[in-house]
Amino acid sequence: MLPYGLELINIAKHFDRRLLFKKINCTLERGQILTISGANGSGKSTLLRIMTGLLKPSYGAVHYYIHSRKLTPDQVSMNIGIVAPSINVYDELTAFENLRFLINVRGMEYDEQRVNDLLQRLGLIDFKNEMVSIFSTGMRQRLKIAAAILHDPLFLFLDEPFSNLDSEGMQIVDNIIEAQCERGCVVIASNMKTGEKKGDMRIELS
Amino acid sequence: MSSLKALVAIWRKDMKSEMRTRYAINAILLFAFTTLIVISYSISPYRVSLNDRPFIYASLIWIVLVFSALSGLARSFVKESESFTEDQLRISTSPEAIFLGKLLFNVTVIFVLELLIVPVFILITRLHVVHPVYFILLLLSGGAGLCMVTTIMAAMIARARVKSVLFSAISFPLLFPLIITVIKGTEKSFRIMRITHWNEFLMSTAYAILLGVLAYFLFPLIWRD
Repeated sequence: MLPYGLELINIAKHFDRRLLFKKINCTLERGQILTISGANGSGKSTLLRIMTGLLKPSYGAVHYYIHSRKLTPDQVSMNIGIVAPSINVYDELTAFENLRFLINVRGMEYDEQRVNDLLQRLGLIDFKNEMVSIFSTGMRQRLKIAAAILHDPLFLFLDEPFSNLDSEGMQIVDNIIEAQCERGCVVIASNMKTGEKKGDMRIELS
Repeated sequence: MSSLKALVAIWRKDMKSEMRTRYAINAILLFAFTTLIVISYSISPYRVSLNDRPFIYASLIWIVLVFSALSGLARSFVKESESFTEDQLRISTSPEAIFLGKLLFNVTVIFVLELLIVPVFILITRLHVVHPVYFILLLLSGGAGLCMVTTIMAAMIARARVKSVLFSAISFPLLFPLIITVIKGTEKSFRIMRITHWNEFLMSTAYAILLGVLAYFLFPLIWRD
């Protein structure tokens, strides 16, 4: 019996008459990494959005399980973290306020030390009280990663996680992904090298 | 309990965001005060007969309130969509908590708007409110009804291309019965000292409750699709 995992069954997606991909099948278990690769416009971000439940597939289904029990869409939402170019943080709040908002909105217990630790790990502690509107795209990307792992998700979706990051930022994020995998998190990423290094599963879209 | 926490968090976030950007408030107040100034110049109290004043002023005050609200209340959802934070919210909490948080924010904005606009309106028109309690109750129930409609409509149009046009076009037919009712009730509060039948207040309250319940159950379908 799997502690937790997800299963893609015959996923297909087309926009109008343009077929992006079809017959995508995959089963992922605790601690595994799936990388999705392909050319621009091949549907990597679309597949990630389908897996997170933010977009409906044209055909097929995505099932999430915890102890063989299928999760409802709301339960799925509570157990996933997403970093994607199409998901932003709030410009008019500070980095700290963004994370505190996400803690409260998820109904979690507020722990200031935990937020500070996370900001420290991502190299944002000195900017915690700065408005996100003045952040560079790299700093914003780091904050988005903090927002995605804030609630220790069981499934972490990373759409181009290293985009806009400098070498230090890439190293930090790489370490965070490693730590998430060691914790048992299922990581699904597009355009990421870590999965290849680990030799886990891979989907190539054409 | 966690939904209540999420609801309050969304309301607080929207309030903080609004206090910093003043996007909705500025749009609403600009529209409201421009209209009030036009009214004060074009229909001064001396140009309207005493008998006509209650009806004309009741209509004018609700026209100002409704169109001011329409110019700003859609922001609550449109902003989430335009700044790409909608999906962050979508995966963080239940649709019900999001709807109630946004509704609470819109209710706060509309009541602040009424608190600012109505005294100015009374001042510039030299209006005498004969039954202030009935008038205040209508402002509260009418304002609540206005928020129920605008909140759900804002959620529906957030992903459309021509947001503001669509928002007013689809909100207005739904608001029409409410506007007629509150105008009638407001006229009564300007004219009659002893109101025995509070029909307009009861109708606008029933409208707000009905639309609120409908919107609450419809919202998850709109939000998840």
